[in-house]
Amino acid sequence: MTGVAAPDEDVNRLITFEGVTKRYPDGTVALDDVSLECPTGQITVFVGTSGGGKTTALRTINRMVEPTGGRVLIDGQDVRERKPAELRRGIGYVIQHAGLFPHRTIEDNIATVPYLLRWNKKKARDTARQLMERVGLDAGMAKRYPFQLSGGQQQRVGVARALAADPPIMLMDEPFSAVDPVVRAELQDEFLRLQDELHKTIVFVTHDIDEAIKLGDRIAVFRTGGELVQVAAPEDLLAHPADDFVAGFVGQNRGIRSLSFADTAELSLRDDLVRPVTAAPADTAGLDWVLVVDEARHPLGWVRGPEVTGPLADAALAPVGGTFQVGADSVRGALDAAVLSPAGLAVGVDGGGAVVGVTGGAELLAVPTHGEHHRRPGKEHPVDTAGADSASAVRDGASD
Amino acid sequence: MDIDWGWIGDHTDTLTDHALIHLRLALLPVLFGLLISLPLGVLCRRWGWLYPPVLTASNILYAIPSLALFMVFIQYTGLEPATVMIPLTLYSLSVLVPNVVDGLASVSEPVRQAATAMGFGTLRRLLRVELPIAVPIVIAGVRVAAVSSISLVAIGQLVGQGGLGYDIIRGYQLQFQTQIIAASVLIIVLALVTDAVLVIVQRLLTPWARARGRAS
Repeated sequence: MTGVAAPDEDVNRLITFEGVTKRYPDGTVALDDVSLECPTGQITVFVGTSGGGKTTALRTINRMVEPTGGRVLIDGQDVRERKPAELRRGIGYVIQHAGLFPHRTIEDNIATVPYLLRWNKKKARDTARQLMERVGLDAGMAKRYPFQLSGGQQQRVGVARALAADPPIMLMDEPFSAVDPVVRAELQDEFLRLQDELHKTIVFVTHDIDEAIKLGDRIAVFRTGGELVQVAAPEDLLAHPADDFVAGFVGQNRGIRSLSFADTAELSLRDDLVRPVTAAPADTAGLDWVLVVDEARHPLGWVRGPEVTGPLADAALAPVGGTFQVGADSVRGALDAAVLSPAGLAVGVDGGGAVVGVTGGAELLAVPTHGEHHRRPGKEHPVDTAGADSASAVRDGASD
Repeated sequence: MDIDWGWIGDHTDTLTDHALIHLRLALLPVLFGLLISLPLGVLCRRWGWLYPPVLTASNILYAIPSLALFMVFIQYTGLEPATVMIPLTLYSLSVLVPNVVDGLASVSEPVRQAATAMGFGTLRRLLRVELPIAVPIVIAGVRVAAVSSISLVAIGQLVGQGGLGYDIIRGYQLQFQTQIIAASVLIIVLALVTDAVLVIVQRLLTPWARARGRAS
């Protein structure tokens, strides 16, 4: 069951594992004949149980671990042909607790690799300042020391430091695992936005399958003993787990998760339950729930048809619940909105917040969750990635 | 207790001379001890098996009475400063080596890994990352070594090299209390001032460590 990576002929591969094995002197096998490709410009996530060898695999790329068998190639060149220190300066590296140098200021932390590459100090610091802005850090922090920053801020510095010399490859070892869930979600969203601008070849290690699905273009699942079990796009991993181990690992609610890959543009939305606030009361009589909208079609709230006795403007409205942006949010987001709605119906809005229509129930589940022409909404509209996540409607208020 | 302030006023030059000699006899050994402890501590950190024997050896040295060590060295170095400074250097090791090792151990694993992954070689990582981070703990050791060295030097007068120790022994021989008290007070002042200077040096060298306890 090794070497299951199905080579895609038209993909330009940057990092290649060829039968990589790591066996320690005491007989422990950390990597067992692993073969896979991490394509250029994409995020490949290594996920698996602890002791599965995912971090070991990551470290064979920059020679922090030397394999006992097989080889790792970057652009066709065996990494062992390069001096370790020199190789590593061309590969960004981010780790769980950031690993910032406590004795260096934030800007000097970020400029670490430029200094090693003997850039002049001004250029190195200018680059550091630009990167601080890019990863969302206030310029006033440049002269501070790591202990003065929060965990989330430190992790941003870690990312900026890895990007400083503009390496084509980034290795990220559980970079967001040590921060709280709200900050983690923010960092993930910004990471996707950044990647959309930078197109780095990224290898990302995590034990969190949700994070893997959210971030990965491809996911490699490792099992204890260093065995690579499956490599697949996230939607394929959810739809077609290779075996019971993978099925168990992706979890029992993989059906719900797979809705993250279904596009709300393919939903057929009902317009017949939407009424302007100026509509006549009699107009709503035969309907169970009616969504009342203002002149600009922004949603005002829900009302039960039979309960309307006077003008809609005077009616007591139930809250809208959740909305989703058609085409930008996934069906998982729409389902979430439906669950939050008193009517059990999700309100689809356009980019301007105007109501397109409502939908709910079985209709939401009729959208295909994978297929050759299907793309993840989040990856196609990086600005709206926050919306692709199920809880976005709830979290938007809390995270700022 | 009668203090003859007039005598002190007449002898400020001599006392200052003795104080400076005292300081030199006390602090040069700490400097030499540091120069030995840094590489030794690095080696102990790198090869863990080396640390227990090195620690035991330096503790045994520390247990030997200073007078006995002076007598050993006097055969080779005579009534010279070296006779006092060599034992004091050896004594400082028992404080400094563990502090260098602890200081290097205070570099967290993520920091070491990050440094390696950024492309620091072993030597560069040691000089630019590990030793700078070890500075607060190393200086804590230097403070202890310096203060104990300043108080130990006085005994060196038994081999003719004692700085202010001369005034203590001379005062005893002449039954002249003022000289004993003046020298003793000066030794205490030297120790306090040296310690304060080291604290300031540490603050200047490690602005990043000032509020660490609060942050982590």
